[in-house]
Amino acid sequence: MTTTAEVPVPGQHHDDVDAVGRRQLTGVCLLILADVAFVGALIFSYFYLRGLNTSNAWLSDGAATAPIWVGWAIAAALVVSAGFFRWALAGLRKGNLDRLVSGIGVAVVIVLLDAAAQVVQIMSFSFKPDANAYASSVYTLAGANLFHLVLTGLVGLGVWNRARIGKYTAADPWQVHIIAIWWVWIAVAGIGGALTTSFIASPNIGS
Amino acid sequence: MTAALVDQPVEPVSTAGGMLRRLNLVTAIAGGLILGLAGWLISHSLLQDDDLGSDQVVLVTLSCWAAGFMIGIGALNGPIGWALGRDLRHEDELFLAGKDQGVARYFRFTTDHKVVGIQYLVVTMVLFAFGGTLAMLIRTNLISPHSHFLNPQTYNAIVGLHGLIMIIATIIMVTGPFGNFIMPIMIGARDMAFPRLNALSLWLIVAAIPTILSAAVLGGIPTGWVGYAPLADQAPPGMDAYSVFIIIFAVSSAVAGANITTTVLTMRARGMSWNRTPIFVYGTVASVGLAIPAFPLFMASQVLLQVDRTQGGQFFVASGGGSPWLYSNLFWLMGHPEVYVILIPALAALMELTPVFSRRPLFSFNAAVISIAGIVGLSIMVWAHHMYASGWAPDLNGPFMLTTEMISVPTGLLFLVILGTVWRGRIWTTVPMMATYAMLWNFIIGGITGIYLSDVPADYALHGSMFVTAHFHYTLMGAGLTGAIGALAYWFPKMTGRMLNERAGYISFWFVQIGFNVTFLGMFAVGLAGQPRRVVTYAQLFAAGNFVSTIGAYSIGIGMLVLLYAVINSWLHGQVAPANPWGAKTLEWTVPNPIPLENFEVLPVVTSDAYGYGEEDEPASGIDPEREPVLAGASADLGPRPVGASNVEGGP
Amino acid sequence: MSAESIVASPKRRRRDEVRHIAWLWLGLTILLVLFSIWVPARLMGPPASPTMRAVESTMTVFSIAASPVAALVWAIAIYSLFRWKSRGEPTEDGPPFRGNGPVTASWAIVSSVLCVFLLIWGLAEMTSTTSPAEASNPLVVNVTGQQWVWTFSYPDQGDVESDQLYLPLNRPVVFHVSSRDVIHSFWVVQMGIKVDANPGVTTKTSVTPDKLGVFDIRCAELCGLRHADMETSAHVVNPADFAAWITQNGGHT
Repeated sequence: MTTTAEVPVPGQHHDDVDAVGRRQLTGVCLLILADVAFVGALIFSYFYLRGLNTSNAWLSDGAATAPIWVGWAIAAALVVSAGFFRWALAGLRKGNLDRLVSGIGVAVVIVLLDAAAQVVQIMSFSFKPDANAYASSVYTLAGANLFHLVLTGLVGLGVWNRARIGKYTAADPWQVHIIAIWWVWIAVAGIGGALTTSFIASPNIGS
Repeated sequence: MTAALVDQPVEPVSTAGGMLRRLNLVTAIAGGLILGLAGWLISHSLLQDDDLGSDQVVLVTLSCWAAGFMIGIGALNGPIGWALGRDLRHEDELFLAGKDQGVARYFRFTTDHKVVGIQYLVVTMVLFAFGGTLAMLIRTNLISPHSHFLNPQTYNAIVGLHGLIMIIATIIMVTGPFGNFIMPIMIGARDMAFPRLNALSLWLIVAAIPTILSAAVLGGIPTGWVGYAPLADQAPPGMDAYSVFIIIFAVSSAVAGANITTTVLTMRARGMSWNRTPIFVYGTVASVGLAIPAFPLFMASQVLLQVDRTQGGQFFVASGGGSPWLYSNLFWLMGHPEVYVILIPALAALMELTPVFSRRPLFSFNAAVISIAGIVGLSIMVWAHHMYASGWAPDLNGPFMLTTEMISVPTGLLFLVILGTVWRGRIWTTVPMMATYAMLWNFIIGGITGIYLSDVPADYALHGSMFVTAHFHYTLMGAGLTGAIGALAYWFPKMTGRMLNERAGYISFWFVQIGFNVTFLGMFAVGLAGQPRRVVTYAQLFAAGNFVSTIGAYSIGIGMLVLLYAVINSWLHGQVAPANPWGAKTLEWTVPNPIPLENFEVLPVVTSDAYGYGEEDEPASGIDPEREPVLAGASADLGPRPVGASNVEGGP
Repeated sequence: MSAESIVASPKRRRRDEVRHIAWLWLGLTILLVLFSIWVPARLMGPPASPTMRAVESTMTVFSIAASPVAALVWAIAIYSLFRWKSRGEPTEDGPPFRGNGPVTASWAIVSSVLCVFLLIWGLAEMTSTTSPAEASNPLVVNVTGQQWVWTFSYPDQGDVESDQLYLPLNRPVVFHVSSRDVIHSFWVVQMGIKVDANPGVTTKTSVTPDKLGVFDIRCAELCGLRHADMETSAHVVNPADFAAWITQNGGHT
């Protein structure tokens, strides 16, 4: 390989913030891709079992189901929190650091409350995961959403703390930007889960 | 004495690295044991079960072990420090990269990609040693139908463990050691894009290995490596160890995949356009990039399996509305991309070294890239050829036969690339180059036997037989592992600073390759005659073929022991290697031995690709192994640019 | 370009190399074709059904079709190892050409044509091996796998049950295959048919046995401790003997 050398710049040891930021954005997008595959696999499992309806036991007659609105409410709260986070990011871009801290703070509080709501929903299902394939699938999707909420809450606490002590500036909003993308993705995943569990009865009855 | 000391400035006690100074493999194991024990006690008392090792308890204990291990190695220090707003100082980064720590850095959460590469190499070798020993036990049992060397329970447990350990070992065998150690230097980078994620991916695997070994005492994995439900639903707690292992491994491979892909996308040296990027880099990215969406599906299948096993879930239980076909679909949606995750980087390593030992440019670089891309694209559309006989969707067998057979076109192009490269070359038959030839022999057999299996009616006759076992060993071992051994022999001088003992290398090569062909040609024969896979005993009809296979397997075993000896001996006492012993042109050969911490004093700017053998504008290579990197004038379009380094990573 | 200068007549030398490789290719192809004709089908044993006969001819035909491909790769590889080998480290580079468009294109076209051939052959074979049994008056056999035995029952013959499979010669049979516990795979070795026995669902496969004798039934999916012992026999008998066996076991024909 034919090469030539660059002149070293003494003391300068880091790439500029935009290069580092874009790099981190690429990495996080790839990790989100992995999570998309994981969530997609759970949703696929739900619809596959519902479609097959093996032994007519996807949801046997009279078996308890989860009210649809709870899942949608949890997803809606997630969407609202993502909105607050993006509002905070827009504030940072304008140099409004107070809006950054308060926006992230609200987003984190909503997510943590949402996580608590998700726990309450899981505890109060009127069926156990061993009831039927529907029950197993609903528990698993709810569990995956809870995992998302807790993880995002922890990351959110970190980014809130860093915003509070002034680590972010309008010139380098990359971390907040990247986390905002993650936040939108978990909101999308939450909607996906709520939508999935809105389809309850199997279309394939009989046989 | 005192006078001399007084004159020297007293070194201040360094605080670089903070708490990580006190964390290493020992604290990791201690943390894993403490948290694992705590998890065992708590879950055991909460569940009030008399059976000391129920599925729930095993799941909690092993998860706690892994969490404790990761805390003990210091994996959480970075994220917690980030959340508290304590960003790393430069000396912290240097400490993390293992500066001035000698051998100790190999036992720490070290971020230097070269350290991680060596760690991966050792982990891979440990896995192969374990999986290979199990293979010897399997073949010893099968030496005769009446050997009774292993009872059926032990045999089934060993078959599953052998399969799983070998699959994991082959997945990491190229992208782990060489993708981490060599690839960043090859593209002219100072480290990976996310050095801490790099260390994380490695230590996750280390944390996971004891869990899979624990399966051996928890009843084994009696399902084969595929872990098919509902057999997995009724398996002993070894199956929980399998799940925990796969879940951790999937996280590790997603992290490693994101890291390596980002590195290649964003950190190639100035001037290294895509048509100047070495083919090995393409192979590495194709492999880990394919793994990013593939392994989460495996992880999902194990999450569902754990819901079934520990919560009484019905995912795979037909009477509760579940379906075994759900498991096999999720599994093979991962499983078929996965074989190319294994194969592509090994073949790419051979394509990288063939020009060096033929002294010829790579034949049709574009064809090589297109074929890698074609294999990646097709590989996600062929999974159901593993399920022709499962009955899940007989009408789809025709379409899947089409996609499966189409893969032979891009794969065939790879053969053309290598044959075109050796064409009228100056063949230097070193051990790495011999690996290329062995691959040409083995992979043709593996490929052609794959064509029989892609044909639906022929697969009905052959599926589940020893023929299949022989076929995928020809691809994954005959081509994949052979390629990895070639890569090891090729890059050994750069990674260890010493030459691999050539004589031992040749002896190992012939023992392994001849033994390999004897083993698996014999296995083809018994498979065609109708011997099922994964059986502890078999009809007298198959006795001769199995005897031959076992003798061949012992030959592989001897060859691998010789290789192990050669690696250890050469690493410790081998002849010191020059910087560029092969006269190769990729960037990793331009850095001195031992490689400095950040690889390049000054970052290179690339003005041509690495395959210019025999071309006018370059002196003939291979004459002066110690020569300096060729410094030609920069092209006009290359302006000045700040020198990059990449030890920073502030993100979550 | 020093590689060229040492050769007196590079053009002639290149022609000789191609000629030698062509001979080597031809020789290896002949050997592999002979191997293809004699070995793979023979290893699979005498077929006991048209399905198995079709599979064995597939093995032979695919092997023959693959022979020139394998022979070409090996011929070039073997030739290069002898003719183009350097003694120790090479002191000069090979010719610098970086590809050859026509060669690459023809390689891709030929392999695509072979691929299309495989597909058409496979589809035709699929049609011929599945349709006859579904056509006319098949014998229905319910096959149930459980750890680690097979049970066969004949629903149209008064639910006769047996742990050995009895089939009349030359009558199409449809197997309805299911499982009581885990996945098994129902495999009648010499008839070339196999389908998984899944719990909760019924899968189908069909065959027309055309040879008298006793054949092997094995489980082809790891199903637990005694998987290796999950074997039984398929007896193909004359229709009269089959009727007698049914009656003897309390059924009716």
